[in-house]
Amino acid sequence: MRTKVTKVILIILGGLFIASMLIMPLTTVLVYALRQGLTVFTSAITDDYAIKALQLTLLTCCITLLINTFFGVFAAWTITKFRFRGRQVLTTLIDIPFSISPVIAGLVFILVFGRIGWAYPLVESLDINVVFAVPGIILATTFVTFPFVSRELIPVMQAQGREEEEAAALMGARGLRIFRKVTFPHIKWGLLYGVILCSARALGEFGAVSVVSGHLRGKTNTLPLHVEILFNEFKVTAAFAVASVLVVIAVIVLILRNIVEYRLKREKG
Amino acid sequence: MYVELRNLNKQFNGFKAADNVSFGIERGHLAGLLGPSGSGKTTILRMLAGLETPDSGDILIDGKRVNDIPAARRGIGFVFQDYALFRYMTVFGNIAFGLTVQKKEKRFIQARVTELIKLIGLEGLERRRPHQLSGGQKQRVAFARALAPNPQLLLLDEPFAAIDAKVRKDLRSWLRETINKVGVTSIFVTHDQDEAVEVADEIVITNSGRIEQVGTPTDIYKNPQTPFAAGFIGESIVVSDYGRLHGFQATDGFDQAVLRPEFVRAVKLEKEVFPHASQHGTVQEVYFRGNALELRINLGGQVVTSHQSLEEEAFKVGEEVSVLIYRLYLLGRDSVRLMENASIKSDGSFFI
Repeated sequence: MRTKVTKVILIILGGLFIASMLIMPLTTVLVYALRQGLTVFTSAITDDYAIKALQLTLLTCCITLLINTFFGVFAAWTITKFRFRGRQVLTTLIDIPFSISPVIAGLVFILVFGRIGWAYPLVESLDINVVFAVPGIILATTFVTFPFVSRELIPVMQAQGREEEEAAALMGARGLRIFRKVTFPHIKWGLLYGVILCSARALGEFGAVSVVSGHLRGKTNTLPLHVEILFNEFKVTAAFAVASVLVVIAVIVLILRNIVEYRLKREKG
Repeated sequence: MYVELRNLNKQFNGFKAADNVSFGIERGHLAGLLGPSGSGKTTILRMLAGLETPDSGDILIDGKRVNDIPAARRGIGFVFQDYALFRYMTVFGNIAFGLTVQKKEKRFIQARVTELIKLIGLEGLERRRPHQLSGGQKQRVAFARALAPNPQLLLLDEPFAAIDAKVRKDLRSWLRETINKVGVTSIFVTHDQDEAVEVADEIVITNSGRIEQVGTPTDIYKNPQTPFAAGFIGESIVVSDYGRLHGFQATDGFDQAVLRPEFVRAVKLEKEVFPHASQHGTVQEVYFRGNALELRINLGGQVVTSHQSLEEEAFKVGEEVSVLIYRLYLLGRDSVRLMENASIKSDGSFFI
C-alpha cells in the first residue's frame, strides 16, 4: 500500500517537473512564434539573415560531425583496444570539453588565434581568418562537441573486448578489414547515437560560438546567435519564430535518437 | 622437437608471468598446459601465438625461430577461451574468414568450409549467427575456424571452461578424436587436471611462471618430480606428521608427505589383512560421490581421505575401521620421494 502511494507521488512529481521545465517552455516558444499570425512567422524565418544563419548552422554542424566522428572513433579505438602509458590521462583529457564552460572554450580560441594570440602570425601568413570568422565557429563547435562520439563508443568497444580483433589479426586480417568486418558492425548503432547527440549539441551551441563569432549578420551568425540578436532588438515574435525552427530540429533529433536507442537495446538483448 | 620454447621470460609490471620457461612438443602431439590460474599458462600460449612478445628467450616452430615473425604469419590456429566468434557473421562466414583474408578462390573456400562443417557435425547451421548456437556448438565453430587455413600448430585457451559439465565430457573426447584425425600439433591450456589427463598426450605443469614437470599423464601421476606437482595432481592432502602413520618412518629433509585417497584402504576390523601395516581409525564423515563413497577417517588426530566402492558394505559414522596406507610421496624442498609402506612386506611373509 505504502509503495503504491509512493509510486503515484513520484509519477506526479516527475510529470509536473517535466511539464513545467520542458513542455511548457517549448509550447510557449511555438505559441509566441505564431501569436502574430502565419505571415509574420514565415517572414521571420524566410528572412535573408535567418536563412544565412540556418545555412551556417547546418554547415558548421556537418563539418563538426565529420571531424568528431573521425577522431571520436580513433580515440575510442585507441583507448579501448591498446594498452599504453597515459591511457587514463587520454581518457580524462577527452572529457575536458564537458567540464569546461563553453565561454572559456571560446575565449581559448580568441587567446590562441586572435590578434594577441601566439598563433596569430601563423594564420595571418596563411591568410586565414579564424576569430570572428567561420573557421573559428567550426573550431569552437568541434571543441565543445568533441566527447560525444568517443564517450558513446568507449563502453561499447570495451564490452566487445579485444579477442575478436585478435582472432581476425591472427588469421592475417589488416586493420581496415578488421575495423570493417569485426569492429564496425558492433559499434554502428552506438556510433550513430553518438553522432546524433553530437549534432544536437552542435546545432544548439551558443556560448563558445558567441565568443568567437563576432555576431556579423549574414556572415558569422548562427541560428542560436540570430535568435539572441532578434530578442535583443525586441523583435520577440521573430526571435521565437526562428527559435521554433531549432525546436523542430530538436524534436526530429529526439525521434531519431529514440529509434537508434531502440535498435541499440535490441542489438544488446 | 616440433615446437620448442627456450628460456622464455615475460614480466608484467614486475610480475613474472613466465620465468625461464623451456619445453618441447613432438609433431602431431596434443599437449596440455596444466596449472592453477595465474600460473602463466595463458601467457605462454599467447607468446607462442605472437599475441605477446617475450622479454627474452626463443620460440621455435619446426626448427625455425619465430620470435620476429608476426602472429599472422606463424601459421597458428588459435581457439580463444570465450571463442571470440565474429558475432556479426554467420557460421559459414566465421569459418571462411581466414581463407577470405588469404584471397583463396571462392570455390575452394566453399569446399573447405563445407568439409569443416561436416567435420564438426553442424550441417544445416551454416546460416546461423553465433548467438543462435549453444556453447558446445560455438566451441566447435571456433575450432573449425582455427583449422580452416590449415595451421601447422593449433593453440586452445581453456577450451572447455565455458561449457556445462555434461557437454564438456562429450566435447573432450570429440576434440581428442578430431585432433588425432586432423593430425595437427596442438597445445591447450587448462586448470582442470581431469581434462588434461583425459585429453593430452603430454602434460606440462606450470606454477607461478615456471615449468614444474613435463611428461605423459601416467608419468606425471606416478612420478611427480617436484613438491608442487605431487600436491597438485590427484586429490592430494598434505600430511605433516607422517612418521606417526604405521609403516612409515620420518626421513631427514622431508618434512611433509602427500597422501592420495587411492593410497588409503579402509576395511572392517574383522577383515584386516596386514595387522602390522594397518592402524585403527574412526570414520568421521561419509559423503556420497555418485559413483563411490568418500570417507574421512581420523587416525589419531590426522584425518585422511579414502574412497569406497558402492558394492561394499557402507561404513557408519563413528565406526572403528582398519586403515592401510600403501604409499606416500615425501616432499623435500625441491624433491619428491616415493615411500612404500615398509610393514606390508613383513606382514606378507608372515602370512606365507
